[in-house]
Amino acid sequence: MLSVTNLVKTYGKQNAVNDISFELQGGEVVGLLGPNGAGKSTTMKCIVGLLRKTSGEITLGGYDHLSVEAKRLFSYIPETPYVYDLLTVQEHMQFVAQAYGVKEWREKADEYLELFELADKRDKLGRDLSKGMRQKVSICCALLPDPQVLFFDEPMIGLDPKAIKNTKKIFKQLKEAGKTILVSTHLIDSVESIADRIMILKDGNIVGNDTVANLKRQFVQEEGTSLEDLFLEMTKDE
Amino acid sequence: MNEIRLLFRKDIFILINNIKLILRNPLRLLPYAGILAYIFFMYYLRLKGRGDDAPAQEMPELDLNGLPEVNFAMQNIIGGVTILALGLLIYQLFSATKKNVSFFKMADVNLLFTAPVKPENILIYYMARSILPSLGGAIIFVIYGASQAIDTFEMTVANFIFLILAFALFFFIVSPIKFLVYTLNTKYDVMEYIRTGVIVLAVLLVGIIVIPGLMAEKFWQGMFAWITSPWFDFFPIVGWSRGIASYLVHGNAIISIGFILLYGVSYFVILKLVIRFAGYYYEDVLEATKSNEEKLEKVKGKKQVGESSYSLNTKKKLALPDFGTGAKAFYWRNYVHSSRQDFHPLFGLYSLIMVGIGIVLAVLSLFEWFSHYFLYSYLLIMLFLYFFAGIGRANVGDLKKPFFILVPATWAAKFWNMIKLDILQISLFCVALIVPSVLIAGLNWFVVPLFLFATIEVYLIGFGINIIPQIALDEGWDRKLIKPFMIGGIVLFGFVPAFAFSIVAFIVSKQFVWALFGGTFGMFFVAAILMHVTLDVLKRLEFKEI
Repeated sequence: MLSVTNLVKTYGKQNAVNDISFELQGGEVVGLLGPNGAGKSTTMKCIVGLLRKTSGEITLGGYDHLSVEAKRLFSYIPETPYVYDLLTVQEHMQFVAQAYGVKEWREKADEYLELFELADKRDKLGRDLSKGMRQKVSICCALLPDPQVLFFDEPMIGLDPKAIKNTKKIFKQLKEAGKTILVSTHLIDSVESIADRIMILKDGNIVGNDTVANLKRQFVQEEGTSLEDLFLEMTKDE
Repeated sequence: MNEIRLLFRKDIFILINNIKLILRNPLRLLPYAGILAYIFFMYYLRLKGRGDDAPAQEMPELDLNGLPEVNFAMQNIIGGVTILALGLLIYQLFSATKKNVSFFKMADVNLLFTAPVKPENILIYYMARSILPSLGGAIIFVIYGASQAIDTFEMTVANFIFLILAFALFFFIVSPIKFLVYTLNTKYDVMEYIRTGVIVLAVLLVGIIVIPGLMAEKFWQGMFAWITSPWFDFFPIVGWSRGIASYLVHGNAIISIGFILLYGVSYFVILKLVIRFAGYYYEDVLEATKSNEEKLEKVKGKKQVGESSYSLNTKKKLALPDFGTGAKAFYWRNYVHSSRQDFHPLFGLYSLIMVGIGIVLAVLSLFEWFSHYFLYSYLLIMLFLYFFAGIGRANVGDLKKPFFILVPATWAAKFWNMIKLDILQISLFCVALIVPSVLIAGLNWFVVPLFLFATIEVYLIGFGINIIPQIALDEGWDRKLIKPFMIGGIVLFGFVPAFAFSIVAFIVSKQFVWALFGGTFGMFFVAAILMHVTLDVLKRLEFKEI
């Protein structure tokens, strides 16, 4: 579904993403882990077209990632949830429904607003929402077009425990529905249970890309090692 | 064109929600109503005055040869406005090589840029829509300006329309040009060529002011001779706007419409070039969009003003020793920050430039190219700048950090160490500016201490005016309603008497030094009271997490 080949992104002389290649098959859930500055957000922003790749090739469903056809296939939940100050929550849903050409969006919007406890806030303006609520709106907007691929960039930041639980539930539902998900996060346990595969980035390079079990076998010899231990082992400075 | 419809509908929603917000709280309109009432009052006064003393059509003054004499006052007004516009244009062009302009919001980035829409259609819509703020600003400016000048000029509907278009098109066209410059730079890496071109243009423009100035009997009589001549109307953008506005003088609509058409053709060409070269521009606007959003949040008060928004050399290695314990840590922090901002923490590039301008004015007044009044005005502008520097100081740095509350030291010590670096910088700047200026221009020596004292005073007053309501008044309407009253009170009972004292001193003595003394003496009481209140309310400071 997603194919990234020899992706390089440089800022000046510095390589933020250093010639990485990977693929995501349809229905696969992949966790993108890495310390701060590893290149997770840059990789994701290059894929969704917010940053211009320096070189490499990215395709989604066989289309170039910048084409309108590719964009119909995915949604992106950014790290910082910016919303329109003077649009209400409901109008945000309407706006996204128009942008993605979603028919019969009202019922789906109601469902997501209900799930994320935004139903009573539907007439609130974007500027009157807290950061957590904006994040919820952002997630609802991403889910509304029912995309094939979802890119979550630190989706849990700023959410309350219930919303985190709901997001995890949504991950599971999306996985069961055969959606492809790439989720970048620091909350390792949030992806451990649902990710088919883990991709660990360090200094713009992929230092691990496999199932959790295989990675543990490869890098750690001790019994009972958690994903967190594995992550720390793989990203420690030489 | 689905994108255009989508965005148009979104903007309609935003407009409706804005109207609803205003209707929910019509008190928001009170300040605007006040401004409107003031403008109408001015119209009324001026129109009434015009009826009383409108002179008959004056014949131009003739010289010995029977030729009309040059109206230097009018020439300097037109020249001054043209110079301002040229300066703004050059600055905008130069800044375009450093940072892009953005027509977007971060919500567009998150919700629209990743959606299946064509980037060029979004750009066309937003670029065209950007005329609205320019038009709105121009309407307000012209209506206000006309209220001041209606006794001199006949303001017909056509005059209004052409004046509004002259201003609106000037401000509107700058953004697409900036976008194009940045786009060309991103695509072809031509930043150096563009920058050199802008510098050459700036040098040429300086030349067309300096050369006729030097050729004239007195510099100020000749400096604007070229840029005020009619052929300068063909100079792109600045000249075109002047050409449109000149309808006010000649009343020939065809000439002004011709210049509007020139704008139209230019806009079309720029749009075509932008669409051709911008390509997939999302990354190019990302940084500018984010920085605009942050500025907006700061204005709304959602976010503290980050000091990093000013130019900062983050790579500069510093090894400063400790300055002491307790509150001195704040002085140390400011010193470190200032060291990274400029070549020296106590005296920077801007100070150097401002001192340089002052000395140039002093030299020009020595040779009588300029009157001494230019230098005096410059000194007064410096006071004005430091007043606003004081206002801004209350918004940045230590006061917004929890350390200011947590560090174990007295409030007075914390306050002093917070402003100590500013006071040192101000003192150095003032000495560097005023001593040579006084020496060169032959001013009274008492101007030196008075100017230094006045600058520190206005800085402290600015600081006090902003910080006291911030701490002492609760959030919301209290602050919104009481703050203007408080500032009004300070102006009415502090500034006005001091200013009046200064004017009286000037009228009686006919000397700037006495005017400065009068103002400084009056403002001393205002500064003292405000500092007393500031120290009193400072202990009530609380950390508001955003």
